[in-house]
Amino acid sequence: MKFKLDIVKYRFLFLLLSAILLLPGIVAMIYSTVTYPTHTPLKVGIDYTGGTTLQYGLKESITNDKLADVRAKLEQGGIENPYLQIINVNSQESTDLKAILSIRTKFIDEGSADQNNITNIVGQEFQSPELVQVSSVGPTMGSELFKNSLIALSLALLGIIAYLTFRFQFDYALAAILGLLHDALFVIGMFSIFGLLYDVQIDGLFVTALLTVIGFSVHDTIVVFDRVRENLKYYSKKMTFSEIMNSSIQQTLARSINTSLTTLITLTALYFFGGVTTKDFVLAMILGIAIGTYSSIFFCSVLVDIWEDKKKSTKTAAAA
Amino acid sequence: MKNKLILFWVIITLVITATVVIFTKPTKLGLDLVGGSRLVLEANPTNAQVTPDMMSSLQFAIENRVNKLGVAETVVQRSGDKRLIVEIPDVSDLEQAKAYLGETAELDFRKPVMKDGMPEWEATDLTGKDLTRANLSTNSQNGQWVVDLEFNGAGTKKFADLTKQLVGQPMAIFFNGELQSAPVIREAITGGRAQISGGDSGFAYEEAKKMVDLLNAGALPVPAKIVEENTVGPTLGADSIAKSKVAGAVGLGFVMLFMALYYRAPGLIADVALIIYGIFLFALFKAIPITLTLAGIAGFILSIGMAVDANILIFERTKEELKAGRTLFTAINSGFDRAFTSIFDSNMTTIITCAILYCCGTSVVKGFALTLAVGVIVSMFSAITITRNFMHLIFGTGKLVHPEWFGLKKSEINEGFQSVETSREKAKFGILD
Repeated sequence: MKFKLDIVKYRFLFLLLSAILLLPGIVAMIYSTVTYPTHTPLKVGIDYTGGTTLQYGLKESITNDKLADVRAKLEQGGIENPYLQIINVNSQESTDLKAILSIRTKFIDEGSADQNNITNIVGQEFQSPELVQVSSVGPTMGSELFKNSLIALSLALLGIIAYLTFRFQFDYALAAILGLLHDALFVIGMFSIFGLLYDVQIDGLFVTALLTVIGFSVHDTIVVFDRVRENLKYYSKKMTFSEIMNSSIQQTLARSINTSLTTLITLTALYFFGGVTTKDFVLAMILGIAIGTYSSIFFCSVLVDIWEDKKKSTKTAAAA
Repeated sequence: MKNKLILFWVIITLVITATVVIFTKPTKLGLDLVGGSRLVLEANPTNAQVTPDMMSSLQFAIENRVNKLGVAETVVQRSGDKRLIVEIPDVSDLEQAKAYLGETAELDFRKPVMKDGMPEWEATDLTGKDLTRANLSTNSQNGQWVVDLEFNGAGTKKFADLTKQLVGQPMAIFFNGELQSAPVIREAITGGRAQISGGDSGFAYEEAKKMVDLLNAGALPVPAKIVEENTVGPTLGADSIAKSKVAGAVGLGFVMLFMALYYRAPGLIADVALIIYGIFLFALFKAIPITLTLAGIAGFILSIGMAVDANILIFERTKEELKAGRTLFTAINSGFDRAFTSIFDSNMTTIITCAILYCCGTSVVKGFALTLAVGVIVSMFSAITITRNFMHLIFGTGKLVHPEWFGLKKSEINEGFQSVETSREKAKFGILD
């Protein structure tokens, strides 16, 4: 082979690199958990905490452009991540209201500066809006729901371990799971940092983004492991395990890069041209897919190689 | 060759069927994408104050109910001190949902007592809380619909004690304060099972079904009624969704362009297969039907990524085989065959994960798991069957005349990593040394 990519040789360097990638995020998560009033590693949005809904009755119907304008102005005016929704008024009641604009944001007190600010902005966009209701709303992603999702996820991880142990070996299964945690931790860590630096709040969609990242991570790792399994079948007598690992990574490299590239193309298009409300969701997936590709090449494979070496050295020690 | 032509026409027929389904069936989109109806429920307890605890359990009961009733992708949220907002996507039957949400669903068992010389029913401590589940079945003698009840441990004991005490007397079953039936107890029932028949006239199917659904979802801790009803726009904002649609299409266009430029002829074939894949999947979503939310669309995007990946895996392997100097026919065959184990294992893992997430997950997780699982299953078919069929039909069994069609240079042939086969595999791939 003309070009040789010797990952195994620098395996501890790559583990160190993983640690460097993860460490800032972990520090940010610990710092956030200690300092935030919610005691969460991430800045959680109103999907998790609940907030206040302001409803403005309007005498005109709302177009998409108008909705985007209001959203942009609210954000400029310091209202973080507002949720805008149009409520159509059923006409059986005799009012001249055409539609209601519902704005959901963090908890604000009635008659506070924040509320006046929102009312002013809405007033600039629409003719004489009327504040019809101010109410506090609970979380859509309450702690109970969140706990249930975590339990489901843990069970899914056990399922993955069982299947991979059956098809490969326990070592490979464990490496795939560690890779998945590596990727999830990286994304959570990055968002913890974004939360501290840019006030990015996570919403209910963040859970979905993490699931996608995890799905991709395992998928990607298995493709590399499959090649190792195949090469072991044919070359285990001629080559050392490390050589097999190296050539397997090299053989799957073009595929690994192209696959994440195609997924990243779609996501980048969604990030730059897509809607504002899904931007963070897409960003989480972009980070996750990138780290997922990295971890299947430089983290999971390296782990398996190290474990394989350990096994061999204990075997030779036992033989001696 | 004949088999391949038959398969080709089967694929074309499926595409036509799927297209018809797409044009005739409605798309079901969730609250976050198209909006729906918004109901406001107010708790009005008959005697007590509304406490936050009471509201939590009411919210839990309502959530349970909408999930059990199959009202997909519903949002239940607290509002103020004693109100709940329930948002239901357009696709669901609003009237049915309304009928279910207000029902308290209190089941209780009562015993006869004589009060002032008049027979009356007296409440016991056995209620719907002591059930593990209720089932719908029919009476084997007269074929009427009945509701089978299964008690939990405590319930079984209470029921055994109660029936022992009432041998020779009637025991009444009340649902929402209405007498359902009052069978005479012949002997103590210790098996932890009971049955509600609808009295002499029997239950109508809908009546029995509703009772079963409500019993399984659990009773409402406080009576609640619907005080407000509106239609709402998408929670993600109509403006954002319109933009994302365009962006998604642009993204997919770029992916297809990349495939065609990098993999040349096979890439173009994969693009066609990808379009067919999209048609199949969309038709399936409509036919099942699956309510699509943003989480579902995330699953969809991931499954497209995995479908593209399957093609990439296959083409990379085919390229390697061509580099090793194989003929087109054997290269295509062995490319598919060798890529298959990795496609199979990675997709199986995804399917297992989705199955577990679907069984125990919450609604967001469920929507994601369902679309991803369906997507992955269809992608196995599209990448392996469709792409392979097209490749064989187009390239036939010939030699590699135009390596540039596969994105290879003439000089690269015979330079690649040499593959090794067992003789069984050689026979399978059609290799003649």
